[in-house]
Amino acid sequence: MSSRDLEGYRSGQPAQLADVLERVLDKGIVIAGDIQIHLLDIELLTVKIRLLIASADKAREMGIDWWQNDPFLSGQNGRKSLDDRLRALEEKAGLPTSEDE
Amino acid sequence: MSAEAVPREDGPGWYLYGVVAADAAVDGKDDVLLVLEGDVAGVTSRVSLDEFDASVLPERLGDAAWLEEKIRMHEQVLEAVLESASVVPCRFCTVYRTEEELRRFLAERGGDLSEALSRVAGRVELGVKAFVDRERFTTGGAVRNDTIRELAEHASKVEGGRAYLEMRRLEQLVTEELIRFKEEVAGNLHARLTAAADDGVQLNLQRPEVTGREEEMLFNGSYLVADRARFEQEVGELAAEYRDSGVELELTGPWPPYNFVPAELGVP
Repeated sequence: MSSRDLEGYRSGQPAQLADVLERVLDKGIVIAGDIQIHLLDIELLTVKIRLLIASADKAREMGIDWWQNDPFLSGQNGRKSLDDRLRALEEKAGLPTSEDE
Repeated sequence: MSAEAVPREDGPGWYLYGVVAADAAVDGKDDVLLVLEGDVAGVTSRVSLDEFDASVLPERLGDAAWLEEKIRMHEQVLEAVLESASVVPCRFCTVYRTEEELRRFLAERGGDLSEALSRVAGRVELGVKAFVDRERFTTGGAVRNDTIRELAEHASKVEGGRAYLEMRRLEQLVTEELIRFKEEVAGNLHARLTAAADDGVQLNLQRPEVTGREEEMLFNGSYLVADRARFEQEVGELAAEYRDSGVELELTGPWPPYNFVPAELGVP
């Protein structure tokens, strides 16, 4: 309540990360085509990052980094899908799969 | 994901923060470059594709510190621009590989961009959030439910098992009343604030883990405002009206008008 100003409402504080995020990630022009993140990825990222940030500050304080294990955020999904495809091919060819070795 | 098919690049790319009118007065500090194309100009800075390339981006985005730094940078550049010019903001991480591709976008969509700019010219986005303190709501003068008031008074006097049961009943009644109250207040806030603004949108409510406040968020809205004095006066009046009910308002911004640009602008 200490920051309540004369008008009777809070204002003029530095922007909270959550307020920045709900705008910067969700809104504004989304350019499809030649850019680095594709539109579909952005939709996914928005959800992922929202979850991440929801507790990132707290998590960091507590030394928790659960997002490191998230396959999408830690960039392991490409590797995983390759492994899956390899296994599928091996099975189709009747070869022992990589996992069996 | 086709990330592994994309050759990784380390040359500089073009990070596009937003678009301004070609004749806008923008202070080019912090390595911000204006790329003029027809009637509009892109607010850009050169970034390493090594850092922003699709193949490394998922990893980067998993780094909370990197993410926060870049997101704050995106916002700060736009806020600096906003001080002297109207801007149509882009979403986070809009990066072009080459200047040609950036210029092609500005040229092809110049008409739509100019239109979006004229819509936000001389206006800013202001956010209004409202929180309600459950305890102050329960004891506040605005509770019209007589049962709650009587119970609250009574429960503070009785003791033992009976007090427990009365407290439980009180909690339940307050919860029900609060749901009704929140809906009513949110509707009223949005209607009054929209009337004092050029346009308005309701945003999703933020959870307590995000707001860092004990009070529950009951309203989250954002407004496109030309007359700030009038809008802020309305916020002040609403704050005064609802204070006794345990409601507190918070004004944020001015923001680049993220919520008032057509998102499909970037889609070919």
